[in-house]
Amino acid sequence: MRCEQVGEMMSARLDGRLGSTEIALLEDHLATCSACQAEWRSLQELDRVLLSAPMARAPVRLRMQVMARLNRREQVRRAIIGGTALALGTVALALLMLAPIFIGLLDATDIAPALVSGGPETIIQLLALLGAVGRALLVLAEKFAAPLAFLGLFSLVLALALNGLWMGAVHRLHAAQ
Amino acid sequence: MTNEAEWIQLAQEGDQVAFGRLVMAYQTPVYNLAYRMLGNAAEAEEAAQETFLRVYTHLRSYDRQRSFRSWLLSIASHYCIDRLRRRRITWLPLEDEIAVPTRLASDSPNPEAVVMRREQEERIQQLLAALSPTDRAAITLRYWYDCSYEEIAEALDLTVSAVKSRLHRARRALAQMM
Repeated sequence: MRCEQVGEMMSARLDGRLGSTEIALLEDHLATCSACQAEWRSLQELDRVLLSAPMARAPVRLRMQVMARLNRREQVRRAIIGGTALALGTVALALLMLAPIFIGLLDATDIAPALVSGGPETIIQLLALLGAVGRALLVLAEKFAAPLAFLGLFSLVLALALNGLWMGAVHRLHAAQ
Repeated sequence: MTNEAEWIQLAQEGDQVAFGRLVMAYQTPVYNLAYRMLGNAAEAEEAAQETFLRVYTHLRSYDRQRSFRSWLLSIASHYCIDRLRRRRITWLPLEDEIAVPTRLASDSPNPEAVVMRREQEERIQQLLAALSPTDRAAITLRYWYDCSYEEIAEALDLTVSAVKSRLHRARRALAQMM
């Protein structure tokens, strides 16, 4: 048997994965090869050292740290979901408030009958309507941009604060239990 | 149903208290694996935290037919291997980079024994640090967790014959350094 084959067998023997026939072959080789004998002794010594090495114990704070990081992650997730929901709600509310203005614009430009009857005038009237809507939006943006932005920001802050209060209450409840 | 199986099921349903119990049960095995792999107490603590956060995130995809311990150790091993590869430096650290954890399972009140134990610990970490990340993981799983070749292969995504040759190669390298 060649020394290269014996190397893997020695490692397998340390792991208890050799059968009796293979062990006998290995023993025979070791009895006649001083180089492999020396390697076998050093592998056994290494095995002894590693087997005697204990587990490194986790610091006591590890569990607390993991749970704190999980809680923080949950808080952020809830704050994002809550804030997004409130912001979307605010936008929906703003659109509902603006709806009468758009309906009024439609009436004012008298485009509805033209749209129904069709014809070349429709395109001209449609373009006129779009122009009017664009101008109206500019006026609205000038007038309401600041309050709407403020409202959105206020909603977001409110959402974060409510989430914070909710998480605080849950935390106290857990602590009380 | 065993306690552990019950905690896993509850944790999969989002119960953080049950997950906390799993963390408590496995914090030392995960920390020890990270410490043996990374060779540094502070990094091991951070890696153990990150492993548990990943476990929580992927808990719903955990197959209860599989051993939870093997699944957990697989996540920890892969995280540590990635972390070692990201270091992009030689695997053999300087002496002062080895920080022995404050508590070892066999710490005794005898000061001389403690000193000897710590010296041996440093020696073991120096030896492990000379191995490639995957060989280091294979040796760690074999010696500290008594994992079979098949379990190591599953944890590290290797074949059984690759595990066998890696263990042999790693042992030969370590024995030469001793």
